[in-house]
Amino acid sequence: MLKSIIRKEILCNLLSYKFSIITILSTILILVSIFVMYGDYCLALENYEILRSKSENPPAVIPPIPLSIFAKGLEENLCRSYEPGFVGSIDISSTQKSVNKLFKLFTTPDLLYVIKVILSLCAMLFAFDIICGEKEIGTLRQSLSCSLKRPILIIGEWVGGFTSFILPFFIAVLLGTIFVTLSPMVDMNAQDWAKLGLFLLSGVIYLAAFFSLGLLISCLTHRSSTSLVISLFVWAILVFLIPNLGNILARQFVQIPTAQQLELKRGQIMNRARFEYERIPKTQPDFEKREKALRLRTIAEGDKLDEDYRNRLNKLVKVSQNITRFSPAPAFTFLATDIMGTGMAEERRLKRAVLQYRKILYTNENRDEKGKPPIFNYQRSSVKEILGQGGLSNCLILILLNILFFTGAHLAFLRYDVR
Amino acid sequence: MLITIIAKEFLNNILNLRFMIGLVLCIIVTVACIMILTHDYRQEMKDYNTRMNLQDEILDNYAKADRHRLLGMLRPQKPPERFRPLIIGIPGNEDLGFFDYNPLPILFPPLDFLFIVTIIMSLLAMLFSYDAIAGERQSGTLRLVISNSISRTKVLFGKFIGGSASLLIPFILALLVGILYINLNPNIQWDGSAWVELALLTAASITFITLFYLLGLMVSTFSKYSAISILNCLFLWVMLILVIPNVCPYISAQFCRIPSIKQTERQNREIEIHSLEVARELMKEASKKFKGQYGTLFSEFESMEFGGIGTWLFLGRNASSTHEKAAQQRAEADPKFEAMMDAFSEEFEKAMEELGRIRAANPVEDDLHRKAVLQTKLAKNLACISAFANFVYVARDLTGTGLRSLKYFQQTKDEYDDQFRLYAEEKISDAREKNPAIDEEYYLDVRDRPRFVFKEEALRGKLGAVLPYWGMLILFNVVFFAAAFVGFMRYDVR
Repeated sequence: MLKSIIRKEILCNLLSYKFSIITILSTILILVSIFVMYGDYCLALENYEILRSKSENPPAVIPPIPLSIFAKGLEENLCRSYEPGFVGSIDISSTQKSVNKLFKLFTTPDLLYVIKVILSLCAMLFAFDIICGEKEIGTLRQSLSCSLKRPILIIGEWVGGFTSFILPFFIAVLLGTIFVTLSPMVDMNAQDWAKLGLFLLSGVIYLAAFFSLGLLISCLTHRSSTSLVISLFVWAILVFLIPNLGNILARQFVQIPTAQQLELKRGQIMNRARFEYERIPKTQPDFEKREKALRLRTIAEGDKLDEDYRNRLNKLVKVSQNITRFSPAPAFTFLATDIMGTGMAEERRLKRAVLQYRKILYTNENRDEKGKPPIFNYQRSSVKEILGQGGLSNCLILILLNILFFTGAHLAFLRYDVR
Repeated sequence: MLITIIAKEFLNNILNLRFMIGLVLCIIVTVACIMILTHDYRQEMKDYNTRMNLQDEILDNYAKADRHRLLGMLRPQKPPERFRPLIIGIPGNEDLGFFDYNPLPILFPPLDFLFIVTIIMSLLAMLFSYDAIAGERQSGTLRLVISNSISRTKVLFGKFIGGSASLLIPFILALLVGILYINLNPNIQWDGSAWVELALLTAASITFITLFYLLGLMVSTFSKYSAISILNCLFLWVMLILVIPNVCPYISAQFCRIPSIKQTERQNREIEIHSLEVARELMKEASKKFKGQYGTLFSEFESMEFGGIGTWLFLGRNASSTHEKAAQQRAEADPKFEAMMDAFSEEFEKAMEELGRIRAANPVEDDLHRKAVLQTKLAKNLACISAFANFVYVARDLTGTGLRSLKYFQQTKDEYDDQFRLYAEEKISDAREKNPAIDEEYYLDVRDRPRFVFKEEALRGKLGAVLPYWGMLILFNVVFFAAAFVGFMRYDVR
């Protein structure tokens, strides 16, 4: 019986106008997104070649990864060049997009965005009338008048509906991936393929959560128009409101100065140090000793300032993550960007590596025979590391939300008045 | 009859579930958002005051009689925008070059009034209108209405007025509550121009919301069933709000490429070094010629560090004031020495002209700037296909939170830099007149310096900039209404 329900649901969906329009929409969007982001990746590669070609002290710079085509995340900032500057500071190159300020007004249209915003909406549109729609046209009453158990019906509806929804997504992603694989600029290794697979899997879990939520709303309402209105508002709250509000809400709990204030404070330390330096009599025998002590103190003060700021920033990020991650959209964003190596975990890791590299350059450690410093070497996190760094918890949140929504739908359907 | 239709449409909508949900959502989101942003504004104001104090402290205590160093210390600070409790501004370039930055706004763009209008209100507008025609056809009421002696134009117009009025209630109510909260805050004081800007912002928001209402109405007049109408509406909404504006900057980046910023910086540095080398060579040749011509007189002049004429080209630093003074005294006493000094000064001018010529002929900086402007312009114009982008430009430029405001701040900053440069030059020369012994390391008292005060751009300038985009929004309204009219005229009400 379950098979028949699944078959009926798939056929019903395949022949519907809804399926056609969502298939067209998702295919266009996914392909456009992959083409656009591929072009962006090629530009990033060109820029990387320019950034790393520097003769003297090699800058710390990492190449863009092909996976950023699918989830850009913080890649633009990760791929800047980091050069140790005067007295402990780190000079950072401007990103290519900094001159076109229009990029600041709009969002990056990568696959992550398509799944997170548009396909989640499509999932809700697929599921909003599964139960209440059937009730309205009277087929639900007929189905349940047979010896068909409600749990089987709802499972069949879910499996059939979700299969027909996810099919066009997979076809479009497959087409896009073939294009990316065949292009000469992209070189993906086994690790990258595994990451892409995990990303798509997490995308499916995320979409399943929205599908289950749509089903839950359908089981709680008796008219499809009501279900649609509620579904759209719940979607807007989960996808836009909670993540964006959570971000500014976190700032109310963690006080953090602006980067400009930090820069001025650094300037103040430097000026004070210069002032004190001029007060040291150059003719005195302990001049060098006092000068060195002053230099070390200045570096320590700057480091303390940076560390304090960094600690506050990490706390802010943590609080924000905790506020928002109970909505599926932020949990998926954190998980997907971390998997693809363009997320906040990777950013923290890279920063640590850059600071370590700066230390090596300052202390003149590991230099070769000619006194040249070592080249900055950085490997992005492996799948194992990503899952250990909190990726698993985000994945578990998504699975938990799936179970919660589906159980809710199941319970609501058991009490549903089909008349 | 028109009034009856308007009243019927209005009542129909406000008694509907979607109105209740929209009202609750609008009020909760707007008020919560404004409360948080107002608190955020207070924090930013505090941060701005701290920055101002730090800047003053640095200049008061560590300013030196060196123009370049003095200008390097100057960091004019931008205060938080007065509309910050409503709209979050775009961070300027200064935010990009830091090692430590908050990555969250990159992953999740912050929530503000713009989000409420562009996402929530546009979605609500489409939900209000998607079944205005198709829904009534399905329920059979449209047939009854049309069977009376009423023109279709009046029906459509009545639906538009009644629907829009009911749709605007949640928006206006939420905005009023939010504005009331902002004004109860003692730290925020809006002047007359701010109120005018707020009124204009509200008017622009209404234009945008009605545009989506008309779009929904138009789709409804072309659909037989409301289920199909809503799907088409959502398809269009996704394309207009979520896809087109976001894709356009990337497309423009592909079509209108800019040279690498890092490469440009390197080339600039190379050209600067080259120009200095050329100038240095010219001066070396000149000094060789002078040595042959003036002999010991020139050696004496050389030992005085050339009296400050082009000293930095030879020695990499400015001449000490003692040497400058000595050369001047020598020139006053000996006319031959003075003639030699004048001739040497002419040679230095020529070298500087050559240096300036090489730097002015540098094409890379201009090329980057020109292409960046072109790319931004292309992206901006491409995105105008979507009403979303037009509204964003209007709202941001009106409230001083957009690209125009960044440009205006830069312009004001440049003007202040010029003013400060003049002040610094005057101050240093005054100090040298009083005490000729002072050098670049001398600490200068600049407490009477001109202060940087950022004033918002005048409304006239802002209006001039936003009117074309606002015009586009009105044009979209007209086009959608005309299309809805055509669709409804041909609509089969059976």
